[in-house]
Amino acid sequence: MALLCFELFALSVSSEDLFARRAADQLHILAPRLHFLAGKTLQRLHDGLSVPFDFHLTIAAGSRNNVVAHSFGRFTVSYDVWEEKFRVVRLGNLRKSGYLSVNGAESWCIENIFVPVNAVPAGKDLWARLEVRSAEPKEQSSLLADAGISIATLIELFSRQPRPQQDHWTLESAPFHLADLKQ
Amino acid sequence: MKLALVTILGAAALVAQDGQDQSTDLNVNSRYTVESVSFADQRHYRLSSSVLEEMRRLVGSRVNDEAVKRLAARLRSELRAHDVTFRLARGGNPESVKVLFTVDKGGSNFDFSIPKFAYNSRQGWTGIGEGTATVGANAFTFGALTDGDTLAERFSGVKTKYERLALGTDRIHLGFEFDAYHEQYNQATLDALENNPSSSLGAGAYRSRLNFEPSATFVLAKPLTLTVGLSFEQLQPQLSAARSESANAVINTLRYHQRWQLSDATKQDLDAGYSLRAATRLLGTDLAYTRHAVNVRYGLQHDRQLVEVALVAGLIYGRAPLFERFVLGNSATLRGWNKYDLDPLGGNRMVHASVTYGYHIMRVFYDTGAIWDQGRTPEAKHSAGIGIASGLGILQKGAFLLAVAFPMRQGHVDPVFIAGMNF
Repeated sequence: MALLCFELFALSVSSEDLFARRAADQLHILAPRLHFLAGKTLQRLHDGLSVPFDFHLTIAAGSRNNVVAHSFGRFTVSYDVWEEKFRVVRLGNLRKSGYLSVNGAESWCIENIFVPVNAVPAGKDLWARLEVRSAEPKEQSSLLADAGISIATLIELFSRQPRPQQDHWTLESAPFHLADLKQ
Repeated sequence: MKLALVTILGAAALVAQDGQDQSTDLNVNSRYTVESVSFADQRHYRLSSSVLEEMRRLVGSRVNDEAVKRLAARLRSELRAHDVTFRLARGGNPESVKVLFTVDKGGSNFDFSIPKFAYNSRQGWTGIGEGTATVGANAFTFGALTDGDTLAERFSGVKTKYERLALGTDRIHLGFEFDAYHEQYNQATLDALENNPSSSLGAGAYRSRLNFEPSATFVLAKPLTLTVGLSFEQLQPQLSAARSESANAVINTLRYHQRWQLSDATKQDLDAGYSLRAATRLLGTDLAYTRHAVNVRYGLQHDRQLVEVALVAGLIYGRAPLFERFVLGNSATLRGWNKYDLDPLGGNRMVHASVTYGYHIMRVFYDTGAIWDQGRTPEAKHSAGIGIASGLGILQKGAFLLAVAFPMRQGHVDPVFIAGMNF
């Protein structure tokens, strides 16, 4: 029963949870109700371990299944045991956050996953979809062993179902138009 | 052109720096230095020298997630644990952290070990098996043994122990041990008892021995520890009609054990201890005596070569029972000699030194020592041997030794074959 509840929670999809916004030539998202730094993950962070999360943002145009743009990102979150603050590193471009609160760390990840506006057709109904997964230990080490992050590996990861022990969240937006987005 | 070259070099340097960051700096705590690596439950696990070495290597280095995870995986495999996790805790100063491993043994949380196993072609087998169940900071140990190596007599039986691994602070451990042994004697010992009634022995042969031993260990300043306690021993005589005798003593042990890594190839190890057992009438003892013993062992390993020097000495005042008397000529001292030839009753004075040279798995050793009773003239004995040992570690746990040892004496050469582990 507990497992079932977890699955329902983990796979919850709600159009109220994801919003699109435009910043210059980038299409960003907002997910104010997404809290992936919680529970055992938060405990692991407080214990000084780093925890990677994989993000996959897709934009569909015309219909929910017509994906026209997507972005992958791996964010490694850690907690400074002396400063008692979080820090996030995005692999690939190696962007680093400063010291953040738990909510700040979550927001930093969301702010740093986006698609270019020019990849999105104007004048069509658009849907944003965000999938977040905690990385599995084996995948962590194989990715970290590489000189940089492998997008192909992330695509492969997101192409299969998450494992039962893997935390995962999926959020979808309501349909929107590019022209309606606030900058 | 120059500007372009500088720009390219600068960009290359940035890329290289980024590359370094990616492998080592994903965890914000990687800027801290590891102050110590230990177990959260303060238990002393039996680990191979290579794992201990890996733990030592982490100390003094920057926190490296991957290195700590690899070590956790090795610990899990070696301890046959369900899981081994770790956490970082603040160290003694703001630039350092402690790495604390937690061993999850699953449902059983049970550990079985063989602290000693030896065969001596003159004196037979010795074996000790122990099982320890740990529940939180409480450890319950049950062991069975037959030991014909350590004392003048062979003692066989069971030992049980309860340990409280932390008492408010991890600097204090408590222990309560109960042992029940049955004794067997070599004919040479029985003959010596019959022919030497005026010896300094506090008791003759006894058929069984019961011991109750509460103790407390204090970590004075790592790695210096002090153990204080009491030992209440009851000796049941060979003849059931005779009265049993007690040997109740205050026990104190001061121990220092330190390892140093001088370089990747060079290590040192020092293990030193002093123990005092004072059986006093205040504890209602029938036998009053004081037993002092010191031991020092120093090891130096460089690449595949090692040198070990060990010294033990002891003296007893008063009339101590057989089990307290010193013995030479076993699997650890004067190897090659038969303890029953040297002194079938043991002695109340003893000094022994040993030098071992090792290359890879080969070992060559030289032992010298003397055992005697107060008032008699000590006679030094010597022996040498050659053998093979597993691994390259100093004082290595799990080491296995096969050796042939020769007593150095005039006349015939009479080698002794020794095999065993953890002695």
